[in-house]
Amino acid sequence: MQMKHKKRVEELVVKTLMWMAMLLVFGLVISVVWTIFSKGFKAMSWEMVSSLPGGGFYIGKEGGFLNAIVGSLYIVGASTVLGLLVSIPVVFYLNVYLKKSSRTAYIVRLALDVLFGVPSIVYGAFGFTIMVYFGLRTSLLGGILVITLLIIPIFIRTMDEATRNFPREILDATFSLGATKWETLKVVVRQIAPGIATATLLSVGRAIGDAASVMFTAGYTDSLPTSLSQPAATLPLAVFFQLSSPIPEVVDRAYAAALVLTVIVLVLSIGGRLVTHRFSKNKL
Amino acid sequence: MNSRILKDRTAHFVMLCMSLFAILLVLLMAAGLYLKSHPVLEAHSLWKLLFSSEWRPMKGEFGFLPFIMGTIWVTQVAIIFALPVSLLTALFLTEYAKPFVKRLVFPALDILAALPSVIYGVWGVLVIVPIISKRIAPHFMDFSSGYTVLAAGVVLGVMIVPLLVSLFIEVFSNVPMELRDASLALGATKWQTTRKVVLRKTFTGVVAATVLSVSRAMGETIAVLMVCGCVIGIPQGVLEACYPIPALIANNYGEMLSMPYYEAALMFAALILFAVVLIFNLLSRMVLYRIEKKEE
Amino acid sequence: MAIEVKNLNVYIKENHILKDVNILFPEKQITCIIGPSGCGKSTLLRTLNRLIDSTEHVRLEGQVLVDGVDVIGSGPEITELRRKIGLVSQRPCPLPMSIFDNVAYGCRINRMYRKHRQLIWNVQKQLQAVGLWEEVRGRVRTPASRLSIGQQQRLCLARSLAVEPEYILADEATSALDPISSKTVEDLFVSLKNDYTILMVTHTLRQALRIADNVVFMYMGEVVESGPADSVFHHPQAELTQKYLSGAFS
Repeated sequence: MQMKHKKRVEELVVKTLMWMAMLLVFGLVISVVWTIFSKGFKAMSWEMVSSLPGGGFYIGKEGGFLNAIVGSLYIVGASTVLGLLVSIPVVFYLNVYLKKSSRTAYIVRLALDVLFGVPSIVYGAFGFTIMVYFGLRTSLLGGILVITLLIIPIFIRTMDEATRNFPREILDATFSLGATKWETLKVVVRQIAPGIATATLLSVGRAIGDAASVMFTAGYTDSLPTSLSQPAATLPLAVFFQLSSPIPEVVDRAYAAALVLTVIVLVLSIGGRLVTHRFSKNKL
Repeated sequence: MNSRILKDRTAHFVMLCMSLFAILLVLLMAAGLYLKSHPVLEAHSLWKLLFSSEWRPMKGEFGFLPFIMGTIWVTQVAIIFALPVSLLTALFLTEYAKPFVKRLVFPALDILAALPSVIYGVWGVLVIVPIISKRIAPHFMDFSSGYTVLAAGVVLGVMIVPLLVSLFIEVFSNVPMELRDASLALGATKWQTTRKVVLRKTFTGVVAATVLSVSRAMGETIAVLMVCGCVIGIPQGVLEACYPIPALIANNYGEMLSMPYYEAALMFAALILFAVVLIFNLLSRMVLYRIEKKEE
Repeated sequence: MAIEVKNLNVYIKENHILKDVNILFPEKQITCIIGPSGCGKSTLLRTLNRLIDSTEHVRLEGQVLVDGVDVIGSGPEITELRRKIGLVSQRPCPLPMSIFDNVAYGCRINRMYRKHRQLIWNVQKQLQAVGLWEEVRGRVRTPASRLSIGQQQRLCLARSLAVEPEYILADEATSALDPISSKTVEDLFVSLKNDYTILMVTHTLRQALRIADNVVFMYMGEVVESGPADSVFHHPQAELTQKYLSGAFS
């Protein structure tokens, strides 16, 4: 009787703790999102997102952070395209050309996972060194390249996971029609299309939010970049730099920029979940 | 050999090179960072760089101890905060939760995972820092700005919760259902089963996942930079300011590079970070791979 | 135009999956391979068109002569071999594309037709050959996954036929189908034997009894008995075959 009682109490305590952890997670999400939204909306105006920083921008005069929005979009767009171009062949190679027990595949996956873990500040420092070596200055191109390197591991490993459940029969069917491995590319890409979509959304989210790596490589500027060799502003850096200003109007702009960034990221995240939900019936 | 086969072979070769580039990049990073930090390693002993707390770039003295300790402190606080929350959440989701709860929790974790570092920084500055400076610190000291080890640790902890939870869930779901059933059939309660079967069986996995998250936490830059206080010195407690390695690099790199050895010293900082993260990642990933494989 | 297997041994890791297999599959006949599950029937089929290459840790010994050419080892170009040997698998497996593209896929990669018109014509011909044309007419551009399972299996057969193979391997091709579709597909195979050499793995003895010209009985990776259907079914030589046919194990 004593024993039974103890068991029940234990179960109850654990359950309560779990619920508390769960509530804490929810509370944190709400707190973060609410903070950004409430501060951001107050500071938000059409001018913020539609105009470049004006003359006295940094002492609180007119202007917005269109430069950062455009810069971020340039960098993210270009690096997503580059990332896809590199990642799809690698995923295809790992899964179709190499066998499951392949040593090469194991080491490549390990290397990618390690790269995924490398802090973005290290990417930034490394990228900057390389750029200096080639005589490049902080530029749009530098930002694009570093962000591409940063998101390729995420791209590949996410798609790789999606390809894990790839039905072998489809490959067998195409092979038995006389296809070479390369010729199955089209079929494989179609089959893992939802995985590619999810991976893209995830990578875009990661790419647009990363500040540490673009700090040294893309730089910051008040104007719109017109060529690859010019520096470019980015949203996270716009938030970061303006938040440290002593002038309240400038800090407000940081909040507004944070709101824009958050909305973009939330839309991507929700989109990603919808995509996975739509295409996978029996997954969570 | 016809053109189709030729195409296949070419594609094979090109894709092999692309895949090997991943390995090459890791090596390149290590080599690049080492070469760049070589001057400072030449001028000072490794011992002195790592364990001296004299940081006077103007005089060419580079003791990284304050920054290393800052990183360790912040990471420690982050893990102490995040580990129980994540463990409980992951256990709840795999062992206890009903489907509808999962449908609510997963999107929440998604959002947490998706939010950029800088957003957490803003949140830290607006929420955590004031709480510490107004509510918590006054109990212990006269004045605190709130920009402390504690603030950085909490922000960091929140940031790694989604990573930890997803890794834990992965690990727990590798425990076969039959094992749980066997335990439950013997009359064990759910918690007894969880503790004695699930947790015991996945202990190495849990450790590996934690190590992986620790390495992630150590490299986190912007959010920490925004709330850590950036005061050079070895922190004596959680309510003191600190200056972790990533913050050091972010704050100083690109400026003042004309000073002798300064750039090399910052590159050395990046190298320390890279080396630790590399080792942690390699070890934990290899353990996690093995777990995954066993299940297949 | 026959397939001859000589002293074939297949190992996967340390396991000896096929042991000294010797069989001749005669031209333009249906040969049914029967035997309890796990006896190596499927492995045998996968060895013939070398799909087994994608299996981990596999080792092949012996000879498989297709049209008198050994396909084990370096052999001829593997894609050409596979084009010549069609495969219908247990579960129908439409490619993630439209009905038309499914049938056209093989023709396209093998560059069989210069003109699109010829391709369309061939697709129609193959769909007619499997009796699917009337059912899917007017919706050949819709995804193949919307067809019923039975229709999908016939589509897969049409897809195999479209690349003009000489042999057809069927791995329990009717086991996933409902009785009526199963009968349709089975009849198809019978009608195809005038033009193709058909190798069929089957788990239902009755099916083998209905359609087989020759029968191969395998047990634990070995060929126990093989020969014309009549003699194997009615006058089995080996004790194991007698037991299996009488339903002592399955």
